[in-house]
Amino acid sequence: MFNPYLPYPVRIAEIRVETEDKNLRTFKFEFLDPDDENKFAYMPGQFAELSVPGQGEIPIGIASSPSEKGHVLFTVNRVGQVSSYMHNMKKDDIMGIRGPLGHPYPLDTLQGKNLLIIAGGFAVTTLRSTIIWLLEPENRPNYGKITFVYGARTPGLLLYKDEWMAWDKRDDIDVFVTIDREVPDWNYRVGFVPAVTKEVCPAPENTAALICGPPIMIKFTQPVLEEAGYTPDSIIMSLENRMKCGLGICGRCNVGPEYVCKDGPVFTLAQLNQLPKEY
Amino acid sequence: MPEYIVEENALKDFLQSISKGRVLLSPQGVGDKCQITETTPDKVTLNFTNTHISPKTLFFPQTEWLMSFQKDHSKPHPYVYQDLGDKAKSAVVFGIRPCDAKGLSVSNKVFQNDRFTDPYWKGKYESVIKVGLACKDPFPQCFCVAMGGSPYGATGLDVLAFPSEKGLGLKPITDEGAKLLAEANLKEADLSSELKSQEEAAIKAQGIPDDYSPIDHRGLLNLFQDPQWQSIAENCLNCGVCTFICPTCHCFDIQDEENSEGGVRMRNWDTCMSWLFTVHGTGHNPRPSKTERVRQRFMHKLKYIPMKQNGDRGCTGCGRCVVLCPVNIDIRSVALRMSTLNMQKQA
Ligand SMILES: Cc1cc2nc3c(=O)[nH]c(=O)nc-3n(C[C@H](O)[C@H](O)[C@H](O)COP(=O)(O)OP(=O)(O)OC[C@H]3O[C@@H](n4cnc5c(N)ncnc54)[C@H](O)[C@@H]3O)c2cc1C
Ligand code: SF4
Ligand code: SF4
Ligand code: FES
Repeated sequence: MFNPYLPYPVRIAEIRVETEDKNLRTFKFEFLDPDDENKFAYMPGQFAELSVPGQGEIPIGIASSPSEKGHVLFTVNRVGQVSSYMHNMKKDDIMGIRGPLGHPYPLDTLQGKNLLIIAGGFAVTTLRSTIIWLLEPENRPNYGKITFVYGARTPGLLLYKDEWMAWDKRDDIDVFVTIDREVPDWNYRVGFVPAVTKEVCPAPENTAALICGPPIMIKFTQPVLEEAGYTPDSIIMSLENRMKCGLGICGRCNVGPEYVCKDGPVFTLAQLNQLPKEY
Repeated sequence: MPEYIVEENALKDFLQSISKGRVLLSPQGVGDKCQITETTPDKVTLNFTNTHISPKTLFFPQTEWLMSFQKDHSKPHPYVYQDLGDKAKSAVVFGIRPCDAKGLSVSNKVFQNDRFTDPYWKGKYESVIKVGLACKDPFPQCFCVAMGGSPYGATGLDVLAFPSEKGLGLKPITDEGAKLLAEANLKEADLSSELKSQEEAAIKAQGIPDDYSPIDHRGLLNLFQDPQWQSIAENCLNCGVCTFICPTCHCFDIQDEENSEGGVRMRNWDTCMSWLFTVHGTGHNPRPSKTERVRQRFMHKLKYIPMKQNGDRGCTGCGRCVVLCPVNIDIRSVALRMSTLNMQKQA
């Protein structure tokens, strides 16, 4: 019988410090058994439980795209027990991952649409996965205009710099990266995400918005989108709640009758409007 | 399918026969309480009310080892985690009450949901044949009828046993139950009319049932936002007793325990009454006070589960929490308040 609690063993192939405060590190994992990589078939927006023997498990969004073969990426913020322990782990250490869990962004039903992708802070992880996947030559023609708005407090807190700088040079995606306040040698935008969104968001017709960020950013960006004419079913978000099993069984991540782990974490605003605000 | 009869003095033989090659489980006294445990045919009694804690312990123990891990990955066959395996033994349980069998069938749909199957639960739940014992004289705390069940309900059972004039009546419910009885060489008997009149009398003995159906018709947000949750939660101590003894509460925590070489990953019962249950690593807590936590328990039982399980409630009326809550919070009066609360605050 398949055991969804049993992690696949992985090796840490690389650790990259992402932010200048060193609180975010990206872990590149390789499966010890190459077969496990096939079993771990995922799509952008899904997450996994990272499993450290003796420490426990944490749910983390998958930052790599399924089109990146041979490894999976996760960007981990240093918060508590497991994440801090991971920040002290070394290349070649062995641990476990289990998943993929949750539902991906509905990229299949979004075909033919323009996409407005909005990220704040380190919640950009699964949107990195999404953009890498969308920009693949076999996927890009299936979508309209792609607009990416990404903000952080300071330049040093922005993740994946090499990547978004490269995207900025392409003509099949419009990139607007912004920081809160002016600093020397900054060649991109200055201002909060909601303000930048207001300025650059495409017309709502045939457009969907994917939005991930801290609650405060979502709180102020949502009205901007609604004012611009985006309907609740075209605004797509990803929720976080405390989790253990990731399977809709242990009972702690529910928002009303829905489990964030099993039925989410991706929900449309239209769905969330029908649910209690317990997240 | 026919009914069967086991005469008074033949109970032991019957139990001997159905437990051949299987473990026999039945309610046994532990001090002044009783609990379903492994036993032998001579110790089985029909003389008990109901078990102190629900029989979920059979399939979902309070603490359960899930897997082991080792730390030295230089060994020849390294593993990070290894399944601690399914130790499920084939067994027959005799004397489970209809409310509990129904409650466990509700949990079964959580452990085997639309996306995932919990192998630890499934292995145990499905290797136990369930012979229920109907409640001819319901106990004072029982309200299975109001919750949509019956003292003679068969949901979640393979066989329903009931005290008949001629001995112990047995009604097969599932094919597995029919097979069990057919192999026991029992006397067939048509007990259907006796069964019917007994059930009617037992239902009547619970009095006129409360009508909780308005909960099903009220909107989710309308119920959730009802201002009366605060007064419902006022006396609650968040002790969690109601959730631990409940047949449908299935929530758990996962923890690792280790030594220098390795250790085990285990799960332990958890409770939504606890602040720690939902707190995020950042300190943010979606259910910061007991009002949200008490609301979660009752909404889960009486609204969320029915929404997900075709109207079946997550309370089956066993009455344990009514008896054991230290501050006398009574799910029946909460359900009544949920059925009648102010309707003007439409969401
Ligand atoms: C779907 C999903 C995707 C996610 N994706 C990412 C991601 O891509 N990157 C990322 O970095 N994170 C992500 N997270 C968040 C991440 O799961 C948590 O940060 C992580 O679980 C923290 O675990 P930890 O062991 O480090 O902290 P823990 O030690 O588990 O921290 C929580 C513990 O500390 C206690 N605690 C926390 N705060 C307090 C407090 N103020 N007072 C008392 N006790 C407290 C809690 O009770 C709990 O025991 C995601 C979460 C979800 C649900
Ligand atoms: S009432 Fe609480 S402890 Fe019981 S199943 Fe629901 S969430 Fe879990
Ligand atoms: S048993 Fe009573 S006091 Fe304890 S958590 Fe349940 S409702 Fe609250
Ligand atoms: S994490 Fe266990 S139910 Fe969602």
